[in-house]
Amino acid sequence: MILLDYHNRIIEDTLKARFNPENKPKPVDMNIVDFDGVSYHISTLEDQDSKLVLSIRWRCWPELVKYGANDVLKREYSQWIVIPEHGFDFTLQFDLENLGADPEELIRKVSLLKRNAMAAPFERAFDAQALAEKEDNWDPSSSQLMTIHYRDDEAIYVQNQQDRVTVIFSTLFKEETDRIFAKVFLQEFVDARKKPHLQNAPQVIYSHREPPLEIRHVPGLLDSESMGYITFVLFPRNYAVGTVREETISRIQIFRDYLHYHIKCSKAYMHSRMRARVSDFLKVLNRAKPEVQAAEKKLASGRAFRRP
Amino acid sequence: MSRLAPVVIDNGTGFTKMGFAGNNDPSFIQPTVIATRDGGASSSAPSVPSKPSFLNSSSSSNIASKRGIEDLDFYIGDEAVANSKTYALNYPIRHGQIENWDHMERYWEQSIFKYLRCEPEDHSFLLTEPPLNPPENRENTAEIMFESFNVQGLYIAVQAVLALAASWTSSKVSEQTLTGTVIDSGDGVTHVIPVAEGYVIGSSIKSVPIAGRDLTSFVQNLLRERGENMIPAEDSLTVAQRIKEQYSYVCPDIVKEFKKYDQEGEKYFKKYEGVHSVTGKPYTVDVGFERFLAPEIFFNPEIASSDYLTPLPEVVDNVVQTSPIDVRRGLYKNIVLSGGSTMFENFGKRLQRDIKRIADTRIKRSEVLSGGKMQSTPMEVNVISHKKQRYAVWFGGSLLASTGEFHSYCHTKAEYDEVGPSIARHNRVFGTLG
Repeated sequence: MILLDYHNRIIEDTLKARFNPENKPKPVDMNIVDFDGVSYHISTLEDQDSKLVLSIRWRCWPELVKYGANDVLKREYSQWIVIPEHGFDFTLQFDLENLGADPEELIRKVSLLKRNAMAAPFERAFDAQALAEKEDNWDPSSSQLMTIHYRDDEAIYVQNQQDRVTVIFSTLFKEETDRIFAKVFLQEFVDARKKPHLQNAPQVIYSHREPPLEIRHVPGLLDSESMGYITFVLFPRNYAVGTVREETISRIQIFRDYLHYHIKCSKAYMHSRMRARVSDFLKVLNRAKPEVQAAEKKLASGRAFRRP
Repeated sequence: MSRLAPVVIDNGTGFTKMGFAGNNDPSFIQPTVIATRDGGASSSAPSVPSKPSFLNSSSSSNIASKRGIEDLDFYIGDEAVANSKTYALNYPIRHGQIENWDHMERYWEQSIFKYLRCEPEDHSFLLTEPPLNPPENRENTAEIMFESFNVQGLYIAVQAVLALAASWTSSKVSEQTLTGTVIDSGDGVTHVIPVAEGYVIGSSIKSVPIAGRDLTSFVQNLLRERGENMIPAEDSLTVAQRIKEQYSYVCPDIVKEFKKYDQEGEKYFKKYEGVHSVTGKPYTVDVGFERFLAPEIFFNPEIASSDYLTPLPEVVDNVVQTSPIDVRRGLYKNIVLSGGSTMFENFGKRLQRDIKRIADTRIKRSEVLSGGKMQSTPMEVNVISHKKQRYAVWFGGSLLASTGEFHSYCHTKAEYDEVGPSIARHNRVFGTLG
């Protein structure tokens, strides 16, 4: 598995089981999480087992709403949206007896809830850039820098310019080893683009500690050794309306998890090599053990048997 | 960010149960199997003593020569089984203990990132271990969890203790005690484990080589011998398994049960309806005596095997009798069932009756032997079955991890960095070296 999935598997599995008309509606109450501190709550209404409620909570939700998340969600889930459950940011409710025309499609959409919420700022930036491109004298100051603090110390910055959209990730590594792995990994990202067949890929710039120019003016940037910034420069061809755009949005928002996943995979790989090496060395060591001289065997009479 | 729910993973020999604390059921239950490209394990390749292997051939150069991303090319769980034709299946856990750490590390990697979808740095983890797990294994686990995954906190609990804790949900339990006998019967093996105040009495653990898999093959044999020709050969194991799961129950008396079936057969004989997996044709199978005969092999093993003959109630009684004398009453009083193969209807009742019979006979005899001078209070035998029995270990873990104190029981990453892997030998709850 090289790429991570975009959808949440637990939600997918749960809904599949619940939406199956052969299964009787049962009361359910579960709390699950997703990457980046997203919490979901799946439950049934107290008196009606056939009404399934799914709520999401995410620390950056107000920011997402500010950048138009509600419009995107309305587009995707329109008829299912209800007033948010207490303590949660957004709630969907399904009637198991009336699931609409295509339950499969609905399951797919719902399992992408987090992704769709996060898509809002990207879509907004892409649209703004498309408008700006048509203008002859575009005012650079009208470009909007959207900040999404999706984790405690990490944020995504999305900025539209006249001919491109810049996405900047700030990343924080708790662990020294991770940082070194990440550095190698990201350097490889930057270098990979030099290959001829990857010329169309978005440009990636990695800077350590030093924030890129676009966000240098933002207050509250943590100045620490363990901070890193990754910049993606997206050109319109990277987000042509349609599947390309959807893919780009999905990929770019899973990037942090992708990076961390691969750091962990690399470590696991290192560990398995270390284990292989150790077991080889042990074999060598064991061969160096002096052979134990067999004690002289004696016959019952007390005489020893000697080879002539 | 408020504290996120701890992750609870119960890696068993047959199945892995994983999910988030606070839920009633694990989110994923899938076989503990990993499908890799490279066939055998690289590190467990047979040793060739004649020449230094790391210089020329075999394992190490093999793994070092991999420059691509072959190490990411693997599947776990159900997907692994589905891909078994093109990949090699490996079972990283044998007899409850982790045998292959390379595979286990990657198994966890995918469990966390692909299935549970959580960032391990944000969560605490609760893992389980079998009783009598060597501390080295626990250290290895801690090493992987902290160094590869940077988990926030880690707690490794003994499965039997979690199963005891899970039984607290049963209405039959009056006090929440960590003393009791756990009968853990999964797919591969059945263990009887005495636990006194949270400590496993290692010397008294007994295992019974009868478990789910044996029951299934017993049903399969019965069906075959009776000549149920309708069952397609390739489905015979799954059919046997379904019949076992859907129709089996434990009877109080096997002779009476046979009579009942003979007299009013139509009331008891069932029909299993299946669909041929290849041709899609429906077929029916008559289900008869195997309904009560399958679980009966726990109580009368001689009907299925010729080399193992001790019935389960006797094993339980033995276990209690070999435990320290001051906890025996507690052990009889709280016999807890856990695992899928204890799910049969009336299993608990029958077990309780049989154990009680054995205990009572012994007490009576000692009274007789003492010449009537000694009177003992009757032994209280209680077998507790509850709703969460099937995934009792996982559920117990989920209960423990959702308590407020759980975070203080965990070993944190900072403590690990300070002390090293040996920190895993220490258990905060019991305050001892495990």
